[in-house]
Amino acid sequence: MASISKSNPLEEDDDAEEEVQHFDDFTLASSWERFISDIEATCRQWLADGPKNLVEKGAVAVEDSKNLFTVKHELKNVAKSYCMEFYFQIENNGSQQAGIGNWNSNSHDLQLCFGVKDFLLIAPQSASGVLLDTPESSKLLSAVAIALSNCGSLWPAFVPVHDPSRKAYIGIQNMGTVFTRRFEADRIGSQVPVKLMHLEGLYELFVSKFVYSGVDFSMHNFKVHFMMRLTYQTFPYDEEDEEIDMDELMDDKADTAENYGSESRNKVLWDDDCPWSEWYSAEDPLRGFELVVTWADRTVESTLEMAELENASPHDAEKWILHPILSPYLGDPSHGKRIDFASQLLCLVEALDTSFAAQFMEDFVSVENPSSENLKTSVVIPPPSVLDRVIKDLFREGSKLPDFTKGEHRLSRALKAAPLESFFTQFCLHSLWFGNCNIRAIAFLWIEFVREVRWCWEETQPLPKMPIDGPIDLSTCLINQKLHLLAICIEKKREMNEEFLDCIGSDDSSDASVSMEEHRKVDKRRNTSSEADLQRKRDSSIAEDTSNRLRFERKTERTNYVNQSPTDAIRRGSAGPVGTMMLLKSRQQLHAPFTQDPPLMTEDMHEERLQAVEAFGDSLNVPGQLEKDILLSDMSAFKAANPDAVFEDFIRWHSPGDWESCEPKTTEPSAGPSTEGSKDEWPPRGRLSQRMSDQGNLWRKSWNDAPALPADDQKPLLDPNREGEKIVHYLETVRPHQLLEQMVCTAFRGSADTLNQTNFGNMRQMTSKLEQLYLIIKFTMGALQRNNLLDKAKTVKDLKRLCMVFENVEKLVAVAASIHRKFLDASRLAQVIFSDFYGIYAPTMGMSSNDEENKSRTEMEVSRQEVSLRERQVVSNLFSPPSANQSWRKVLSMGNLLNGHEPILREIIFSTGDDVNNGIHYAAAADVAATSDRKGEEIETHRMYVSGTSNDLRVGLSVTSCD
Amino acid sequence: MGSSSGQPEFDYLFKVLLIGDSGVGKSSLLLSFTSNTFDDLSPTIGVDFKVKYLTIGEKKLKLAIWDTAGQERFRTLTSSYYRGAQGIIMVYDVTRRDTFTNLSDIWAKEIDLYSTNQDCIKMLVGNKVDKESERAVSKKEGIDFAREYGCLFLECSAKTRVNVEQCFEELVLKILETPSLTAEGSSGGKKNIFKQNPAQTSSASSSYCCSS
Repeated sequence: MASISKSNPLEEDDDAEEEVQHFDDFTLASSWERFISDIEATCRQWLADGPKNLVEKGAVAVEDSKNLFTVKHELKNVAKSYCMEFYFQIENNGSQQAGIGNWNSNSHDLQLCFGVKDFLLIAPQSASGVLLDTPESSKLLSAVAIALSNCGSLWPAFVPVHDPSRKAYIGIQNMGTVFTRRFEADRIGSQVPVKLMHLEGLYELFVSKFVYSGVDFSMHNFKVHFMMRLTYQTFPYDEEDEEIDMDELMDDKADTAENYGSESRNKVLWDDDCPWSEWYSAEDPLRGFELVVTWADRTVESTLEMAELENASPHDAEKWILHPILSPYLGDPSHGKRIDFASQLLCLVEALDTSFAAQFMEDFVSVENPSSENLKTSVVIPPPSVLDRVIKDLFREGSKLPDFTKGEHRLSRALKAAPLESFFTQFCLHSLWFGNCNIRAIAFLWIEFVREVRWCWEETQPLPKMPIDGPIDLSTCLINQKLHLLAICIEKKREMNEEFLDCIGSDDSSDASVSMEEHRKVDKRRNTSSEADLQRKRDSSIAEDTSNRLRFERKTERTNYVNQSPTDAIRRGSAGPVGTMMLLKSRQQLHAPFTQDPPLMTEDMHEERLQAVEAFGDSLNVPGQLEKDILLSDMSAFKAANPDAVFEDFIRWHSPGDWESCEPKTTEPSAGPSTEGSKDEWPPRGRLSQRMSDQGNLWRKSWNDAPALPADDQKPLLDPNREGEKIVHYLETVRPHQLLEQMVCTAFRGSADTLNQTNFGNMRQMTSKLEQLYLIIKFTMGALQRNNLLDKAKTVKDLKRLCMVFENVEKLVAVAASIHRKFLDASRLAQVIFSDFYGIYAPTMGMSSNDEENKSRTEMEVSRQEVSLRERQVVSNLFSPPSANQSWRKVLSMGNLLNGHEPILREIIFSTGDDVNNGIHYAAAADVAATSDRKGEEIETHRMYVSGTSNDLRVGLSVTSCD
Repeated sequence: MGSSSGQPEFDYLFKVLLIGDSGVGKSSLLLSFTSNTFDDLSPTIGVDFKVKYLTIGEKKLKLAIWDTAGQERFRTLTSSYYRGAQGIIMVYDVTRRDTFTNLSDIWAKEIDLYSTNQDCIKMLVGNKVDKESERAVSKKEGIDFAREYGCLFLECSAKTRVNVEQCFEELVLKILETPSLTAEGSSGGKKNIFKQNPAQTSSASSSYCCSS
């Protein structure tokens, strides 16, 4: 902007001559005249440019405002230099009068004070920025006024006077041919006269400005426009202050400098019932609320009315605007200042980074190890008592299994981790908070953990928080799978021990027969249940159900048959007849045997198997050995349960597809035994399928080899003793980085699942953000599993980035939860506020790889939300009645209490237009009327803006007059 | 072709799984594909495994094809073979309606339950079209099911070798078109979401939403 940088008046005049056809005389220029012409030239320039060009040329937006801009120009006068600023608004809608419509909080202080829109501000370039003496200021102001009228501008101009703290200004505005507006503002910083504390007094103050002093206000009515805006603020709930408060309470509090009226005495933390509170307590992201209540344009006629107004409830006001105050911590990345999941996860990632240094977890504990030397300084190992507590907590047994789907997100299972409530996840979450989650602390905890696990194994004590039956979920992390299998092995071991004890203990006691009786009933019920259903369930139920009940049933049944039905005497391990199916060679029912559970395997066992199969893969006839074993075991069990059975019988039960029945109705062999023929049509006719009856068929070979042995008497497919020992060994010797990798993944899922439980109502952005988080975790973890050894540095860097993403989501969740719980009955408001916050917050978070995000973000400001009538009650409930401790601070003694809260700020605009009828003396009434006709509105003759409280009062007055 | 020396003499390794009721011809289909022969095979016990090398375009592929047993009793064990499969072929017998209905009743659910790869390509194959006279499942029904379940569809005959090659090739082509699968299958594929621009990342992550 060319003219702004110039300070030489001579050059200026060239400009002026070029641009404006005007005659300037500099022959007799005094310094003041030069000064005036300087101002004039600048103003002309600004006028000519118009707001749009000025913005293009680099006008600066005023802070906190979307449409107010300013340009600056420096002026020099003999000794002093001044700075002239022009403030202008880009949107040209409405009048310059500040009505309720544009009475927004974004307005510049002077705009509010004087009800203007664009204005000039001239201030000296001094330290204080204020003109100290009154003559100087009026001289300056008149210089500006002359300049402005020279260029025909209608801008108001202001100059500061007195001490800056007084925020005192005087100003002048040329209003066209006839009128001039004069402005004056001042402030009383302390000891406001009692009269001015209340609305009546303020009303009278305004009235006194246009009424002869002799008149008694109480006798006359003066119609005055009145608008009032009250700002309320909730007591901040600040935990840090709270602790200080406790001390303060002890030695009598005297903190009057407190910004907010009072402090919270809440002992209950806001997030007590939030899912993360189990691990940490977050600062409430919503510090409090500011409520702006506006009484719109009213006409007040008497002092009495004002007194009534002061007692009016805020609920009667026209407009409520709510402004949430966010905690500043939302704005900047924590870098270890905050304690939350993200911060601890970051520690864990660092532990992963160091975990590559050693072979075993023990190495991190032993002091002699050189690799731990460099670690020792920064690490904290919690005292044994903490270790004890954590281990106790981990191994504390619940009466029943936890709900493993708790907190689970749709995408949780895509992570190779473990369910939130499972043993290993709980270990991981505990280690996050154990010490500062450094590798040594983790090593301590892990070693102790494994020691306890071994004890459980040796003593056949159940593992806590783990199911004791299958199947093993292969989508979880290996340690979780191993712990699961170990829990199953322990259970099996226990069963075996019990059986052993049973055999010694009970010969045939009376209650055994009772239970036998019962079990027979159970059997019957099973048999009569729909046959097709049974047929379908047959295998799976046998395969899955490992409960004691079934096992016991199995045993009693054996004795059962021995005692009662001579024909079945040699049946062993039968699970009951299969529908009405009959054996081929003997007129007996075909019984399904109890079979061994298929061995449960962890991922690495599967892997081993697959590799074995792959190794022998193409060489003929070596399919999985395990499957062969199972087949053999099934055949043995079948033989035991059906002593007279032949191979075909087995096939009919085991692979119905390979039995081609010749019964008239049976077109679909596997459709069930219901069509398999009744007892009357014995023997069932049919034949084996072509492929089953081939020479050298492996199935038949196996059948011939299989001994008749019930499942119980067979060698178990999975030896619990061996498998269990192998697992404990794995846990004891796991490589630190392998452990840490799984811990990182599990801890991320556990933390995310914990956050996922948060109740934040129906906030779509949050839901999708969480989903995004899971996807990002999944992607990063995928990379971790693939290439941690290849590119460790990059993996760790990615993980640290992930922590940052996590931190952002974690903060968002806290905000969402906080908003949700505060607006339970006003979900619209909750969503609007959250959306607004999200709109500001979300773009700044993210994954851009430059370091910008490390810089502090600008203060988070959520925009103000209008509160609808229905929502007012909810909002009003936010302002909980102050406690005794809080109310002692009430010193403002203003009216209009909201649940006992005083407004912290009261702003009032009085204004009066010209009204001849009410008898106010006004010299140029006729002229005013004439002018106002042209404008189509009444001229505002007096306007007063009052702002503040009862001990800090600011008044701005503007008077339009005919000079 | 059986024992690989550990050197990756191929660009991609894909794992393909054959599932379906017992006796629908899974093993025959595999044999027909890998060794161009047809035998009346004895029922698979548990699982069988074959390797086939293919060259499609410029790319050398190693296909590890797992053939599972259809018997219910083996099903719990079969679950482990779903792991990491990029392609799953569901086979039914066009002459036996129950083998078709079991696909939706049983096998599709098994896939949902055990497949660790949510992007994996599914293919529906109706076998034994040589027995046209005994057909019990029409081609249209097959197509309808495939459409509903979002998978490829083909009818073939392991015996006459009609469509056998096509069946596997089509599946492999589809796998090659799916980036997340090729990333897994290739020897050194790695990506980094953080290295991308934020804009790309967001679009990328949204595409994961629907695909993974």
